[in-house]
Amino acid sequence: MGIVIAVISGKGGVGKTTATANLGLGIAMNDKSCIVVDFDIGQRNLDMILGLENRVVYDLVQVMDGDAKLKPSIIKSKVNENLHFLAASQSKDKTVLESKKVEKLVKELRESYDYVILDSPAGIESGFEHTIEFADAAIVVVNPEVSSIRDADRAIGILDSKSEKGRNGEEVAKYLIINRISAEMVESGEMLKSEDILDILNIKLVGKVPEDRGVIDASNQGKPVILDKKSHAGQAYVRIAGRLCGQKVDMKDVEISDKGLFKKITGIFR
Amino acid sequence: MKSKQYSVKVFETTITDEKKFMEFFDTNYALFKDHLILIQGDLSNSIRAYLDKKSLKFLHNQTLPVGRTRKAIEEEFQVQKTESTVNQQIAEAKIEQLSNKLQNNLTVLDTMVRSGRELDIDGDLLLLNRVNSGATIHTTGNLIITQVVEGALRCDGNFMMITASPKANIIFHGVEVDNELLENKLNRVELKNNEILITPVIKKEINWAL
Repeated sequence: MGIVIAVISGKGGVGKTTATANLGLGIAMNDKSCIVVDFDIGQRNLDMILGLENRVVYDLVQVMDGDAKLKPSIIKSKVNENLHFLAASQSKDKTVLESKKVEKLVKELRESYDYVILDSPAGIESGFEHTIEFADAAIVVVNPEVSSIRDADRAIGILDSKSEKGRNGEEVAKYLIINRISAEMVESGEMLKSEDILDILNIKLVGKVPEDRGVIDASNQGKPVILDKKSHAGQAYVRIAGRLCGQKVDMKDVEISDKGLFKKITGIFR
Repeated sequence: MKSKQYSVKVFETTITDEKKFMEFFDTNYALFKDHLILIQGDLSNSIRAYLDKKSLKFLHNQTLPVGRTRKAIEEEFQVQKTESTVNQQIAEAKIEQLSNKLQNNLTVLDTMVRSGRELDIDGDLLLLNRVNSGATIHTTGNLIITQVVEGALRCDGNFMMITASPKANIIFHGVEVDNELLENKLNRVELKNNEILITPVIKKEINWAL
């Protein structure tokens, strides 16, 4: 029996899909079987970021409608054999999802994988509600800016009230990833501090990912940034994946830039 | 006051043929002598003279109250009786509701009020957690919040106790409260002589340098 994790954000463009791809690969690199499922029906992206664009034959909607079998619809990653992928439909829209069909699919996947990661669509409409409905845990991705925080807050509220666990009075485990932290901007006070974000959202922090130019290039090439050993963002995802697999990984403070560190060191010698 | 109540038999008619009328009364005099005669329509002097001669009491063009049977009266009495019991029950329920409200009008919440949530509370509210941006709380009674407020508050009670909340949107009895005035750790907001009065409950924390 695996664990089902929904990756949510509320606001769009904060890095949900990038986080899903990197965490999926990171978990697979920890020798756990993992499937990532793109629930963003109508706006499929995950296949491109994983570099599996040209291998998609059947999609999620076809599987749920019974037009395709589950096994042949699942795509194996070229990079790591533990990582599997199920694509979203690009032609349909979010309204085609039905609670019962989602439940059946999630149940089947839960039985055959250690980790099932669902990439939720942005917003809080039906597509989002179906993604979170049968999840055991949620990873909330935010950027350190007010609109992203407020939207995430709303999404967490809906997660607590509309997920199956929430309706039964149980708590859905929630983990926070603060994405695209610019150390320089935090130092100069332009960006929200992590402590303030945690105060507002009141959920467990699972990791901070620094802003990294390499992420966009990695997505464009279909090679998740976690494969780049030198990338700061890639290293951050390695740490988060480790934490999700139950390892004790110390928090690294990504809010101090190299420049800031240099200043501190020079300050000592002055 | 001395009074008497009795029923009278009435014979009501309209005269078309005076001769036939007189003949009818002549033959049935024994039957109608105890009746009150009510004549609708025209009444000629000859008929008046005839009725006076026979010493029959009569009325001309009058509407008389129609009597009802005993059964009808009893039914109406019953309806009135049930109506009054129903009214009494409604009044009792209202009083009970009111006393319940007076006894249980304090709501205590310790959960976070997240964005998008709208709380509408009839009575007092004690909230032991924060109110996030995008959330709304309305209370008809007093409002005490022990953590930071970033959402909107609307309070119509006697007083509010609010922490220093620079981002909150606070409306007390329809008047917007200036956030800058809520500078202490816990502030009391109340209405006195139509003016909003803000007094510190817990002053700013002092960090003693050790």
